[in-house]
Amino acid sequence: MNFKALVILFLIALFAWYLSFLATRLDRLHHRVETSWANLDGLLQRRAAIAIEIARSEIADPASSLLLTFAAHQARDASVKDRSQAETGLTGALGILLETSETMQGAIEQELLRELSELNEKIKVAISLHVESVNRTILIRSKWIIRTFRLAGRAPLPVTYEFEADVL
Amino acid sequence: MTFERKRIGIVCPYGWDTPGGVQAHIADLATYLISQGHYVSVLAPTSDEENLPDYVVSAGKPISIPYNGAVARILFGPIAFARVRNWIAQGEFDLLHLHEPAIPSIALLACFAAEGPLVGTFHASAKRQKAIFAIGPILEPVIEKLTARIAVSEAARETLTEHLETDAVVVPNGIYARRLALGKLNDQWSGNSIGFIGRFQEPRKGLMVLVEALPAIIREVPDVRIVVAGPGDSAEFLESVPPYLRNRFSFLGRISEEEKADFLHSIGVYVAPNTGGESFGIILAEALAAGAAVVASDIPAFQALLGNGKYGELFTSEDPSSLAQSISTLLKDAGRRNQLKSDGKVYAQYFDWDEVATRIYDVYEMAMVGLGKVTLSSENRGWNKFLGK
Repeated sequence: MNFKALVILFLIALFAWYLSFLATRLDRLHHRVETSWANLDGLLQRRAAIAIEIARSEIADPASSLLLTFAAHQARDASVKDRSQAETGLTGALGILLETSETMQGAIEQELLRELSELNEKIKVAISLHVESVNRTILIRSKWIIRTFRLAGRAPLPVTYEFEADVL
Repeated sequence: MTFERKRIGIVCPYGWDTPGGVQAHIADLATYLISQGHYVSVLAPTSDEENLPDYVVSAGKPISIPYNGAVARILFGPIAFARVRNWIAQGEFDLLHLHEPAIPSIALLACFAAEGPLVGTFHASAKRQKAIFAIGPILEPVIEKLTARIAVSEAARETLTEHLETDAVVVPNGIYARRLALGKLNDQWSGNSIGFIGRFQEPRKGLMVLVEALPAIIREVPDVRIVVAGPGDSAEFLESVPPYLRNRFSFLGRISEEEKADFLHSIGVYVAPNTGGESFGIILAEALAAGAAVVASDIPAFQALLGNGKYGELFTSEDPSSLAQSISTLLKDAGRRNQLKSDGKVYAQYFDWDEVATRIYDVYEMAMVGLGKVTLSSENRGWNKFLGK
């Protein structure tokens, strides 16, 4: 009798430990989503800033300058859910501009374009890191044990960032 | 942007004293990072605690176990684990870079023990293995802790998605492309020669496929020679070669970096008949950088590296007649050979260390955003808080 009770107690303790292990794991993933998003967000903000700078420089003609400024501001003001669409818009605007600006001379313009292409490389990596951490988190959160015991607490479900990376 | 000096810890899973792709990669990366002003400490199993570079810390003696078609010299166990924890606790690292964290080794232990900015690099590519599915659930929570993953090739990335269902950023292995491009012509090796570099006795390197193809090549190109560089017992190898072919072979043993550049520059064609287990093919990238015309088996890694035949000839893996045909055609067609040589040289610049290390450091920077220092992990933070630890 006593032995049985001990075993049951042990199993309960083990289960409790397992739950807390899962909660820690999930907490770490949420943390990762936040940092990867902060990173991506920072890079995108920098890109928008460069886009505005390009719009004001010699590279852009008045029409594309207007287009670019508009897209950049939209990307900056967008809420998290609309963000990816707004950023894709900016990517498109920058793409049109870069295609037509290959003959660009001038040190400052060259520097801007170089900075932009470097940033694009980083953004690609940042996107893949973020998408990976979001997918992982959603996957883990869909486990029944985590849903049943509400281990995610009040943390919001991460939003998938659908960025058309091939546009870059 | 202001430059910050970082403390970077790198964990090497394989014995430091045995030559290998991963070890070479880590040594080059560490040297590069140090030259950029960072503090680097590499934790690796070593059998010989002396004669180590300053930046290497020994984790104990490695044990040999068979893994992925080769013998791996790795290390694990409670003593190793204690050393790993110690190293992490004392290192105060800003970032840990773990190599091959999915095999049972100190890299996996480090991933288990640490928390904070962790970057993992996956080198191996392997076919779907049942064993991985069995240990998958154990590995998953550990691998999950990596802030960023790097795969050295598309093949390695596919292995990762298949086995562990996670994605990775592809950053190729680095080579000293600029240095290799300086190779000079050495008449000793030039002409109708076939070059090969590597541990020629290992079956998966596929030199036996070349031996089987040799009679057919001799029929087309009578004066063909084979020059082999790399560690191994040449006498023992020649015993498995038919006697009338033996005089075609010459062995150079291990060669220096400069000799390698000259060697690759001089030979008629470079052959990589590997039958599998290769994930990136660093030696192929080096051959291209030095300006060699390359013939390689069509395993996925080589296909990807050679742009599906754009930068070198591909033959059906493990098929001697296909290999013979590729080599003799290429040896007889100087125009195509020169085309391949010059295209490959330009293309291989992409794998130069300057380029590759910058990309790795970009990933480091992203991993370090907002995560603070690397600390020992507590699997149950909640409990520790509750108990007032």
